[in-house]
Amino acid sequence: MFQKWIDKSMRKSPWIYHINAGSCNGCDIELVSVLTPRYDAERFGFHLTGTPRQADIVVVSGPITMQSVDRLIRTLAQVPEPKCVVSLGSCPRSGNVFKGSFAIAGPLEKYTHVDVSVGGCTPKPEAIVAGLAKAAEILEEKRREMRKHGGMAPSPAVAAAVEHEERAEFGTGDATAVRQGAEQEADA
Amino acid sequence: MQILIQLFHILVFPGLLFDVAMGVLLMGLNNKLVARMQNRVGPPILQPWYDFLKCCGKETIIPARAKRAVFLGSPYLGFVLLISVSMFIPFAGFIPVTMGSDLVVILYLLTFVSVCEILGAASSGSPFAGVGLSREMVAMISYELPFVLVILTVARAVGADQPSGAVFSLEGILAYQEMNGPLLFSPAAIPAAIAMLFVIPCETGMHPFDIAEAETEICEGMLAEYSGTPLAMYRLTHMVKVYTMSSLFVAMFLGNRFTGIVPVDILIGILLCIAVMFISAALPHAVCARLKVEQVFHFYWTVVTGFALAGLLLVWAGV
Ligand code: SF4
Repeated sequence: MFQKWIDKSMRKSPWIYHINAGSCNGCDIELVSVLTPRYDAERFGFHLTGTPRQADIVVVSGPITMQSVDRLIRTLAQVPEPKCVVSLGSCPRSGNVFKGSFAIAGPLEKYTHVDVSVGGCTPKPEAIVAGLAKAAEILEEKRREMRKHGGMAPSPAVAAAVEHEERAEFGTGDATAVRQGAEQEADA
Repeated sequence: MQILIQLFHILVFPGLLFDVAMGVLLMGLNNKLVARMQNRVGPPILQPWYDFLKCCGKETIIPARAKRAVFLGSPYLGFVLLISVSMFIPFAGFIPVTMGSDLVVILYLLTFVSVCEILGAASSGSPFAGVGLSREMVAMISYELPFVLVILTVARAVGADQPSGAVFSLEGILAYQEMNGPLLFSPAAIPAAIAMLFVIPCETGMHPFDIAEAETEICEGMLAEYSGTPLAMYRLTHMVKVYTMSSLFVAMFLGNRFTGIVPVDILIGILLCIAVMFISAALPHAVCARLKVEQVFHFYWTVVTGFALAGLLLVWAGV
């Protein structure tokens, strides 16, 4: 029963971590406006955290510049499972106005799976809230899946295995290797 | 039978379960009230509980550089210490552990709760946690001094005509208030009460004074590397601390037995805790932006310590 409660609360308290991967700042400002009194995403339990370790939903904005790609992968690797990746704006999906630039290493799908994509340049706050709510639902699903794979609460090893499968499904199996690499690098 | 009653007091009321429930209620109400004051709808009142459960369901990552045992152990140790603090604090006339129910013991144990948090942060090996823990120490130095002064004031006010000159036992304080009415109503204790109201948000790390957890500047500071169940324990500790501090205020300044009918007393106790939380935590949160490190230090060592000292002098002069 406790596990069921946890599943339910997954949806009710998704914490957001925002990665700016070379965004023009338009999307960032719109994301912040979602938390203001006018749209007040906090009423759904959304909360902007400062560290990837506590994040449930990772919001990526910007066209993934060469400079940011390494940091992006390392930051994504630090987020504990279950997690959702939301791409914010048109930039992370297609490169948008920056498409074709020598400094762009996008799209985002090259490096991770994307659960929800909120389009627009910039997306409307309403669309962002809707996208985040969708991501919260996916989060609950993922937690259920994880529980099925691992039986009880996921131990780190099980979570890593699940993650590996998920990544393989999305054709980005190398991300797991990168994760280990990043941790070792931090160690050294 | 005696043991069963004792166990009930320790585990259910007013011990562990009641502490957690009140912590969730106070924290949830705090979020809601702040949201209403900022013209927002605000999260549901049970939001802290959802946060806690969610954190339990996440993967626990132990950073490669962390000292495993300390990193994982200190959140639990902190929580246990905090619960043992709340065992000494009377609520509606019940004290789970009557032995050594003493303000000095409470002061020591509360410091240890913060020390546990610092230990965990220090063992995580993150530079952000390093900055956070140094800030937490500054906060501790800031609020400990007025806190000690307030405790001295209360002890003196209660024990002025006792042979020892001061009463530190909470039972003694309660008995005194039962005879002479709440301490808050005597003018000499009012500055001390004001100082105590300022100590509560800093001790619990509530918003304008949460320099150690400034999420926008130093990535959640001390909690930067925590995830999963240890993080959940930290959040729970934080919630229960809000309740512990406000019930300590109620016990110290307002007394416990208001009508003599237990359910009514419990209800009044809960309402008073909420009122204390509202004045000391929610109002500054809604009004004020996060202070800088030196501002916190400066504020506590001038204004708040000033209030506490004034209270102490008034009480010592026998006003
Ligand atoms: S989608 Fe538009 S607003 Fe958002 S980062 Fe890209 S260019 Fe800027």
